Amino acid sequence: MAKVSVLNVAVLENPSPFHSPFRFEISFECSEALADDLEWKIIYVGSAESEEFDQILDSVLVGPVPAGRHMFVFQADAPDPSLIPETDAVGVTVVLITCTYHGQEFIRVGYYVNNEYPNPELRENPPLKPDFSQLQRNILASNPRVTRFHINWDNNTDRLEAIENHDPALGCGFPLSCTPIKGLGLPGCIPGLLPENSMDCI
Amino acid sequence: MFTGQDSGKVVIWNMSPVLQEDDEKDENVPKMLCQMDNHLACVNCVRWSNSGMYLASGGDDKLIMVWKRATYIGPSTVFGSSGKLANVEQWRCVSILRSHSGDVMDVAWSPHDAWLASCSVDNTVVIWNAVKFPEILATLRGHSGLVKGLTWDPVGKYIASQADDRSLKVWRTLDWQLETSITKPFDECGGTTHVLRLSWSPDGHYLVSAHAMNNSGPTAQIIEREGWKTNMDFVGHRKAVTVVKFNPKIFKKKQKNGSSAKPSCPYCCCAVGSKDRSLSVWLTCLKRPLVVIHELFDKSIMDISWTLNGLGILVCSMDGSVAFLDFSQDELGDPLSEEEKSRIHQSTYGKSLAIMTETQLSTAVIENPEMLKYQRRQQQQQLDQKGSAARETGSATSVAGVVNGESLEDIRKNLLKKQVETRTADGRRRITPLCIAQLDTGYSFTHRAFCGLLWEVFLSPFTRDFSTAFFNSIPLSGSLAGTMLTSHSSPQLLPLDSSTPVPFGTSKPSTEPVAATGTRPAGDSVSKDSVNAASAPAAPSPSILTTPSKIEPMKAFDSRFTERSKATPGAPALAGLTPTAMERLKEQSLVKELRPRDVLESSSDSDEKVPVAKPSSLSKRKLELEVETVEKKKKGRPRKDSRLMPMSLSVQSPAALTAEKDAVCLSVPAAALKLPMPGPQRAFTLQVSSDPSMYIEVENEVTAVGGIKLSRLKCSREGKEWETVLTSRILTAAGSCDVVCVACEKRMLSVFSTCGRRLLPPILLPSPISTLHCTGSYVMALTATATLSVWDVHRQIVVVKEESLHSILAGSDMTVSQILLTQHGIPVMNLSDGKAYCFNPSLSAWNLVSDKQDSLAQCADFRSSLPPQDAMLCSGPLAIVQGRASTSGRQAARLFSVPHMVQQETTLAYLESQVAAALTLRSSHEYRHWLLLYVRYLVNEGFEYRLREICKDLLGPVHSSTGSQWESTVVGLRKRDLLKELLPVIGQNLRFQRLFTECQEQLDILRDK
Repeated sequence: MAKVSVLNVAVLENPSPFHSPFRFEISFECSEALADDLEWKIIYVGSAESEEFDQILDSVLVGPVPAGRHMFVFQADAPDPSLIPETDAVGVTVVLITCTYHGQEFIRVGYYVNNEYPNPELRENPPLKPDFSQLQRNILASNPRVTRFHINWDNNTDRLEAIENHDPALGCGFPLSCTPIKGLGLPGCIPGLLPENSMDCI
Repeated sequence: MFTGQDSGKVVIWNMSPVLQEDDEKDENVPKMLCQMDNHLACVNCVRWSNSGMYLASGGDDKLIMVWKRATYIGPSTVFGSSGKLANVEQWRCVSILRSHSGDVMDVAWSPHDAWLASCSVDNTVVIWNAVKFPEILATLRGHSGLVKGLTWDPVGKYIASQADDRSLKVWRTLDWQLETSITKPFDECGGTTHVLRLSWSPDGHYLVSAHAMNNSGPTAQIIEREGWKTNMDFVGHRKAVTVVKFNPKIFKKKQKNGSSAKPSCPYCCCAVGSKDRSLSVWLTCLKRPLVVIHELFDKSIMDISWTLNGLGILVCSMDGSVAFLDFSQDELGDPLSEEEKSRIHQSTYGKSLAIMTETQLSTAVIENPEMLKYQRRQQQQQLDQKGSAARETGSATSVAGVVNGESLEDIRKNLLKKQVETRTADGRRRITPLCIAQLDTGYSFTHRAFCGLLWEVFLSPFTRDFSTAFFNSIPLSGSLAGTMLTSHSSPQLLPLDSSTPVPFGTSKPSTEPVAATGTRPAGDSVSKDSVNAASAPAAPSPSILTTPSKIEPMKAFDSRFTERSKATPGAPALAGLTPTAMERLKEQSLVKELRPRDVLESSSDSDEKVPVAKPSSLSKRKLELEVETVEKKKKGRPRKDSRLMPMSLSVQSPAALTAEKDAVCLSVPAAALKLPMPGPQRAFTLQVSSDPSMYIEVENEVTAVGGIKLSRLKCSREGKEWETVLTSRILTAAGSCDVVCVACEKRMLSVFSTCGRRLLPPILLPSPISTLHCTGSYVMALTATATLSVWDVHRQIVVVKEESLHSILAGSDMTVSQILLTQHGIPVMNLSDGKAYCFNPSLSAWNLVSDKQDSLAQCADFRSSLPPQDAMLCSGPLAIVQGRASTSGRQAARLFSVPHMVQQETTLAYLESQVAAALTLRSSHEYRHWLLLYVRYLVNEGFEYRLREICKDLLGPVHSSTGSQWESTVVGLRKRDLLKELLPVIGQNLRFQRLFTECQEQLDILRDK
């Protein structure tokens, strides 16, 4: 059983200009004091086409974590526009928050991010080269997609059996109003784990 | 209600929509209260603790998880799941129990919730300390197959397990050893069932197994507690019985107005579920099942649970559905209240309820703040340990609200600013998270209203193969809800459409949803329930003296069974074993009378066969035992222990013994007592003590000058030696740290100081010496004509003067098996019949201080009064004399059954005799020990008069008067100090607050003087 469960992730300052930092207020609960720190990461998916364009915006250690409920604000700088394919700059992409313990990822929270020009004129006629300074980032905070992985929380070396806590129910019926969901949730990392995991969605 | 799921999910359902149609339609009533998806694999079993505070679930992931309702969190949604499916109640996993190496098949809470048992396909049963998870108290090994069912005896004396190895095993909770293994009814069993959930009747008399066979028909075997007899069974199911579950209530016939008010026997109710998809409900007063419901499900029944009020039953099946059946009191009878039930337990098994519990305390008037202070102080210690947890629960009610006076909103605003951020050695950012709530790990917070409504446990399908198919494909609501069925005592099933999502507003959750249903008469009886259960372990005991007629035995099945087995020639032997119920009853009572109350005897089988032969075999055993110990001592270093001396070894056969006894009584005058005498030896050595090491060496007839023969006595003490000579041959010698004495021929007894100085001219004994003994400055001489003398050679006074052993040895051929001289010069004689007498110089009489066959010792049960650490290891002359017998007594009641009143009386009598014996032996340490125990028992059981008398004596006159006879000390202990020690004990029972206050005040006055 997971020692840490995420209770809530609040997206702060949303929507915001493209260049302003991401801010997530994360509250989580820990059932037993952890010996080591948790590592949180924010990954910005530059392009749904390829993991190549994933940017790790920031990674931070969180600790010490005694048993109880905790919260912190995770702030990370905006993605580097130069690393984003021009064709993918405007439109829907994904930002991921992951948490690992002892190098094992146990939760992944994905949000759809819609980058668009708030200016109707620009929206109608987007410049050929995306003008990031004009772009507004809107995170669909109400629809996080949460994937949980079972990991080995103890120090002992026996690796976790790959039994997963499949949650058969959730994951359907997600109103897919925004089309490009390709790659959402799990772009890339640990593909081996993937089929065995279920996804919870809101 | 509570279900476990194949997907590793545990779901708590609200029962009110099941019970009431209105609630079902009301969209504001949540149907699903909480989902816990922490199990990694199929959940096989879920059980509420008796208090309703905890849930335990066990699954294929080899884990047992213990859940507790989280009180500090308000209802909230699970992050990442939609609002509709939010958990109305928060249940948090407080412990994960890891020990099993295979799937956990069943879990069971003991009646008092102090233990949790789990069984697994790893063939073991593990007993967990529920007060201190994850401590393991015992691992019961013995099954050679997958263990698939567990049940506790309702009084907590046994736990039973059933396994695929075609056996049912009963284990004792006293030592966690196997009590019995029952295999016969299962010999024919073929194939396997998913589960083998057996059950113990609420009155404790019957244990009913799952899947047994009788004449190739599937049955549920009834096993009687009395002798573990297997004469009866429930028959009728067409396929193997998977689950048996007794109704928690004991019932009695509904009194009809106008009919004669003849009190009917209470009876139990039992539900049996089978692989044949049908359910049968039986009353032990009926020959036939009360109701049989065929085709209830599409697949085998997996688990059954009764509601707490005993009128509802939930049944689940492998097909993924759960059915609810509702009975009326007309059908089942009037359930006995928990008080009546505990009275039955008490009269049958005996237990103490006298210590008032918290709930009862609240009604008592506190008359004295001192008392309160004292109790507070005690509680404080416990509280301190849980300090943080307790504090937390205080603020918990205000739910997710305020930390250090700041609202969560305020915190949020400033979180980023306040957040502590550091850099690690390798330059990484490290954030210290802000703790917004601690976990309530303590046991301090209860929610009674809640537990009153929670219904027992349930297990639903565990079709492992399905799990993969399930996942991803089936919408949440469908898979979770399954099909929920209600039934009103008829097989007509009303489907309850729980697959429609239950919308519920965010405003709703703050109220306790279950509290509204009111299906149970308040949490009151529940708390009492748990109270009773809590005191149950104090004095559980089996039944021997009680009449089985108290609870209607299952005669009906018996006769049915007999019919069947008579009809088939295949089982003539069995038929012979089952006399009619009446005969059996008689037989039982006969056996009871004949059975000697000896804890050593446990096999009831042998009783029945040779009840008459037993007493003699018993005494034989005892005798042999003694002889053995004596011999052991001899084999060791020569008389290593100067205080314990074997006197004689009589290895007569008990038969001869009894024959002789009669003859002796008739003809031989008692005056002919003759004790063995030591013969003259050329030389011998005697070790007086090993620390300091001290030896006495005797060399007789050392030729000295002029042909005169002398005897030499040599003594070596820690390397220092001295020597002296005596004129006559030395027959025996003895020594202590203070004196050395030798008995010579011509009845002479000489005494020397530790340095070899002669202290007295030789004492002339009345007859030749038999045994000589020294302790401190006391010298004891036992002569061949069985007279005993004790002198204090330092003070040069006589303690015991030529006292004859006639009175204690008279009339039989008993021998003295052990002699002890206490440090206070009190001689104690252990006789071969297990009795021990000490001579009381002040009364000039022999006092019986110990009797191995004392039935008091065996009936007494004061386990509950024993101090936490086992101070039974209290040593002293009394312990030496009584040996192991004294320790066996305290738990005898667990092996024996005595009505509570009788047990109380015997315990009191026993403890009193122990106190008196310790006093007579002047053993201050033991006196204190037994006095404390005695007082604790008095306090526990609420005996005021005796307690008052003790306190009065210990306190003495507060305002000193010259005419007072009162001694301020007893066996060297200051009485008032003793009283101070007793006060905290007395303070434990609020009933004695006046006594407590009085003593406290008077002690204060005395201190001030």
